[in-house]
This record gives sequence, C-alpha cells and structure tokens, in this order.
Amino acid sequence: MVESLRTRMRAVRWKGKRVHWSAYAFLLPFLVPFLIIIVAAAVFGVYVAFTDWGIIAKPIWVGFQNFAEAMGDQYVAKAFRNTVHYGLVIVPGIAVLGLMFAMYVNQGWPLSGFSRAMFFAPNVVSATVIGLIWVWILDTQYGIINNYLGFFGIPSVPWITSTSWALYGVSMASIWWDLGLGFVLFLAGLQEIPRELYESAQIAGANGVQQAFRITIPLLRPTISMVVTLQFIATFRIFSQVLVMTDGGPASSSMSVIHYVYTEGIVIGRLGYASAVSFLLFLMILAVTVVQRFLIRERHS
Amino acid sequence: MSKEHGMSRREFLKVSGMAAAGATLMAAGPQRLHASGSKEESGHAPGQMRTTELVHWSPNSASDGEVEDRWIALFNDAHRDKGVQIRKELVPYEQYRTKLLAAVATGKAPDMGFGLPAGKGALFARDGVTVPLNDLARQVDLDLSDFTESSLKNARYPNYGGDELFSIPMDLMSLQPEINMDHVAEAGLDPSNFPQDNASLLEWAKAMTQYDSSGKVIRSGIMQTASAVQPNVTWGIVSHQMGFRRASDDLRTACVNPEAGIRAMEWVLALFDEHKVSSREVTDRYKAFGNGQGSIFWTGPWTINGYLQQGLNFETFLFPQIGEDNRDTYFEMGGIEMYTQTDTGRYEATIAAIKWLSDNSFLWTTEGRGVSPRKSIVSRPDYRTAGPPWKVRGAFVEGMEHAKIGEIPILAADDFTIYTGDNFMVKTLDPVWVGEKSPQVAMEELHERWQKDLDEG
Repeated sequence: MVESLRTRMRAVRWKGKRVHWSAYAFLLPFLVPFLIIIVAAAVFGVYVAFTDWGIIAKPIWVGFQNFAEAMGDQYVAKAFRNTVHYGLVIVPGIAVLGLMFAMYVNQGWPLSGFSRAMFFAPNVVSATVIGLIWVWILDTQYGIINNYLGFFGIPSVPWITSTSWALYGVSMASIWWDLGLGFVLFLAGLQEIPRELYESAQIAGANGVQQAFRITIPLLRPTISMVVTLQFIATFRIFSQVLVMTDGGPASSSMSVIHYVYTEGIVIGRLGYASAVSFLLFLMILAVTVVQRFLIRERHS
Repeated sequence: MSKEHGMSRREFLKVSGMAAAGATLMAAGPQRLHASGSKEESGHAPGQMRTTELVHWSPNSASDGEVEDRWIALFNDAHRDKGVQIRKELVPYEQYRTKLLAAVATGKAPDMGFGLPAGKGALFARDGVTVPLNDLARQVDLDLSDFTESSLKNARYPNYGGDELFSIPMDLMSLQPEINMDHVAEAGLDPSNFPQDNASLLEWAKAMTQYDSSGKVIRSGIMQTASAVQPNVTWGIVSHQMGFRRASDDLRTACVNPEAGIRAMEWVLALFDEHKVSSREVTDRYKAFGNGQGSIFWTGPWTINGYLQQGLNFETFLFPQIGEDNRDTYFEMGGIEMYTQTDTGRYEATIAAIKWLSDNSFLWTTEGRGVSPRKSIVSRPDYRTAGPPWKVRGAFVEGMEHAKIGEIPILAADDFTIYTGDNFMVKTLDPVWVGEKSPQVAMEELHERWQKDLDEG
C-alpha cells in the first residue's frame, strides 16, 4: 500500500512536469509559520475591522461602521496628515543625505572606509534606543543641539515640546536612524556605474554637474526608486520613535497612524476600530507605492 | 557513497524533508506553555510536597517595584515549606488590560495582579475577568473591618457586582506637591510655612522661577509640561476644588458646574502665560524635577525613593486650596485582584496569599508607596518612623483625608481619568494648553462624550 502511494505520488504531474515533493517539504518550515503568522493574521485583521471586538467576547459583526467612524474621527485625520507629513520630511531627507554620503564614500577619499561604518552604524541600533538618546539631544532646556545653537545666538528651539516642532524633532531622529540603509543601497548603485562613462564624459568636456545629472542620477534611477519606495513604506509605519520621544504629543501634533492604532487597539482595547484604521493605512501605503513607482519607474530602454 | 555504508542523496532529502515537516508541525501544534510563562505544579519526587506557583502580574516598574519584589520575596521565604510560591511578572501598565483580556480569553490568566487602579475595573467585573472576593475573603478570615470604609468602597462596582469586592485594597495614594528645598533657601522663603492657598502658592512659585535674559522661564516655579499628564491632572484637581464635577454623585449627569471647569482651565493657562511660573518646554517632568529644573512638582508617592536615591534635597507638603469649594486632591488606590481560572481550585491558595500580603503590607506602605488601608497598620507606633523620612513621606499620609478625586466607576472609566497621558480627556484638553482650542469648546466636547459614557452605564 505504501509502495502504491509512493508510486502514485511520483506520478503526479503539474503542467507536464513531475512534482518534487521533497522541495515542498523543505519549504514547509518557512511556509507554515508564514501562513499562520502573516497571512492568517492579516486575513483575521481584515475580518476584525468589520467587527466590534474587545478580546474577551466573540467579535460582533458591524459591517462598515468602524470605517464610517474612522472617516469622521478628527484624530484619524490628524494621524494620517501627520504620517504623510513624516513621509514628506523623512524620505527626501534620507534620499538626499544618503546619496550625498554614498557619493563621498564612493570617491575613496581618506577616511571613507571609516565613514562607511559610521554612516551605517545608527541603523543597527533599535528605534527605542535612538528615541531615548534623541530625547536628551533635543531637550529644549539642556539638549546639546540647543546648546550649540546658543553659541551662534540662535534661541532655543522647542524640538519636541511644541506643536510646531515636535514632528520635525521626531523626523530628525528618524533620518539619523534610517539613513544607513539608503546609504548602502546608493553606494551599491554607484559602484555599479562603469567608470568608462565618466572618462568618456570628461573627454567630451562634461563638468561635474553635467556628469551627475546626465550619468549618475539616470543610472541610479532604479536605486532611487527602491530607496524611496522602501522609505515611504517604513515611514508610514513610524511608531517607536513617536512613542518614546513624544507619545504623539503635544496635542497629537506628532501622532502617527500606527501610534493611534496602538492607542486604540492595545491601550483602549478597541481592536475592531484599530484594525479598520490599520486597513486604511494599508490602502494608503498601497496607493502611494503604486503612484511613486509609476513616477520614478525604471526605464529599461 | 555506497548504499551499504551511507545514505543516498535521495534518501537524505527524504529524511531531511520529513524531519523539517515534523519539526514545523510540532512547533505549530498546540502548546502547553502559559501565556504568562509556565504556571504549574512544579516537579517533586515521591514524598515531596507539590509546590503551587501563583503568577502575579504587576505594572510597578519604578522604585515601588523594587519594594514589591522584596515584599514577594518575604512571602516566598515564609512559604518555602508550605507548598506555595509567588512569581511576579512585569506587565507594562498601558498593555495590562489587553494582555489580561487575551490571557483570560485563552484560559491562561495570571492568578492575581495589581491590575488597574481601583475604580477602573468595571468592565472586568461585568465580564467575569475578576473574581468576586467576598466569600473567598471570609474563607481565609480576612478582617474586612480593619480596612477603611473608603478603600472598600473603591474596590466595588455597584452596577456590576452589588456589594462584592473585586480587589483587596493594598495602598492608598494621593497627589501632593514636592518642593526643592535648595530653591526655597535660594529664594529666601520660610521652609516652615509652605503655601496653603492659591495666593501663597503663586507667590512662592514666582519667587523660585528663573528666567533667561529674554524673560523666558528656564526653571519652573510650578513644574508643568505642554501636554499629557501634568497639565491635565492639575486641571482635574483644580477644577474639582473650584466646584466642577466630571459626573454627578448619582452618575447620571456629566460636567456639573461647567463654568468652574472653564475657570480651572484658565487657571492652568495662566501658569504659563500670565504668571509665567511654568514652562511648556519641559520634556520629562520626572527628570526635570530631579535635575532641579522645577521647584514645586505635584506627584505621587512612587517618586520618593527615586529622588532620595538621587540625593535630591526635597520635602512634601499638602496640596494647597486653590479653589473656593474644597481642598481635595487626586486619589488612587492600588489593590490586588484575582483573575478567573479554569482550575478554580487555585483560588484558595491565591486568596490565602493575598491575605498574607495584606497582613504584611507594612513594608509596602512605608517603603513602597502610599498609605495602608489597614487601620491596624497605620496605628502602629513605628508607622511614622519606618521608611523614608516623614518630611518627604508625611504629606502623602496626612493628605489622604483630602484625597477624594478618584475614578468614575462605570464601563468607560478611562475617559474620565485625570491622571493619564492618553485618554479622551487628554486628547480634548491638550489643544487647550497649547492655545489651539478654547476652554469653552473643550468643555462642550467633554460634556458630549462624558454624558454619552454615563448614559451607557
């Protein structure tokens, strides 16, 4: 009987090719947890978004009620506005600084090896630690940045204690923390550009700016696209820095969508509503990713 | 490799694949592990006593948490040969509710825990998360007549359990002002005559506030922050003293005397803008007071040990009477709850452990935090001399008679809490403190939501 089963399994064909069951067996250690922890959880999350659920009882189906409430919730609107604002500050910050640092290291100037390690180092530290350190750095009254600004006669900036500045204070910490990944990707992209192109351009009389805009940036387009996409997705999920540095304040001025979801879901226990807001965030990330991939699309020609 | 001496590549792939699949299925299969770690009748040889390990959840992570650890260690030492031990597990306060509900829903709740402040557990009582304790307390002869009446009142939820207790009171806390004595000396103020009312409070605050050359506050006479806990709890206390009530005594009407609530908002704003004794630019109020960046800081007894260890020269005094109605201040009660178990046989050991902790809470309520709800403990002659010096601890004990601003015992109690950095009230009032919303509009928003909450019971 076993032999018969074995024979039958060996005979299974998919689109004319034999199915290699052992390969699927090797995939199982990843596939099973992935299906349970990621896929099933995501599907369950979508279901919960249509329910009123406080963990202890069974979820009660409420249709689109959570979504309707979210659309009229002034704090959801504020959280989304803030999150987009984070994206518009952090993503260009990382893209520009990451590219500049990568170009510096790519030149092979003195200390570039050391700089490579230094530029990447913050990326290996947890966001919570970064947040705790930057709270001290940005403190209005005794923070080191305001101390240095004071040398130039610039009055103290309330980096994380004012509604006008808190979002930028958190953004500064985030750029410093997240710069490493963009930097490494840009560096890899720069090292892929053939040297001969620059030599030919020089012979043709192109100056540095022309080389940058006619060679470097066009050939880095796929890398720029990837960095911008990854950073937008990462920034739209900003949470730890916000929680540690400002807890969303003052007056919700630095509250991100995930921070709001955390508050509603984990602290208050409205899991259905929090899931609905999460689902709206997913839609926003999807839309922004599609649009920006279209705008900075790779041109294979 | 010959077939006789080894495994062919095909066989190796088969065996590896099966092993991987088996391991994955085992990992994904049902677990015996506890949500709160393992909680079990631990190992024992024949003839040895079985040890019941009670899991105790606690959000106390500051210096009070260290004393709590010692308190539990004393229990464990005293019960090493009696077959019961307690294991404390730290659960962050803001995650306590969700984690507990998840643990109960999966039948793996901790046996007991410090839980949420008394008055905020109506939902737990209604949904059977917490165990009613009247009968259990009687079983172990816990002397309820030794507890103050107000502490027992705060352990009940009349709407959801009648006269049943849902926690055993362990400590009573109030908010009182701590004052930096170096600043008092600098300002030439009389340390034997702390402020008692609004006028003297502002006078002292102005004397101790420091400004830079542009007139900006660089050391707050009264420690505040731009948002979150400090301005909101201040408003909660001052508005109550001015005659405002978040809810009427019968829990039917929200925002009683709203004009007083608006006046209290204006009083808080005046600290920043008119009297200029507070700065909105303080990032962390605890650190700032410890660093000498604030002179008067109203806070709870959980801060005492930390500041003493830090060597801060400070004392405490009773919260002044700022409003014309009363001198009340914030009240919070710590109590240990029991959580619903599938094995109800554990209740007996749990309530016995809670009784022991209550009977032996002298350490907790002298060195840990707050005041004991047990009359027999407070009346001990060494109660005043134990723990931190009376000049820093005394106001928290003597001020209990004014500690009356507690929780509103309804399902949506969270919306009414004044000591928090993240609830509906804070979201509504924070824009007022930074000038983005008028007090009148904020009061209307509070009234609308709180009335709805009260109507839902």
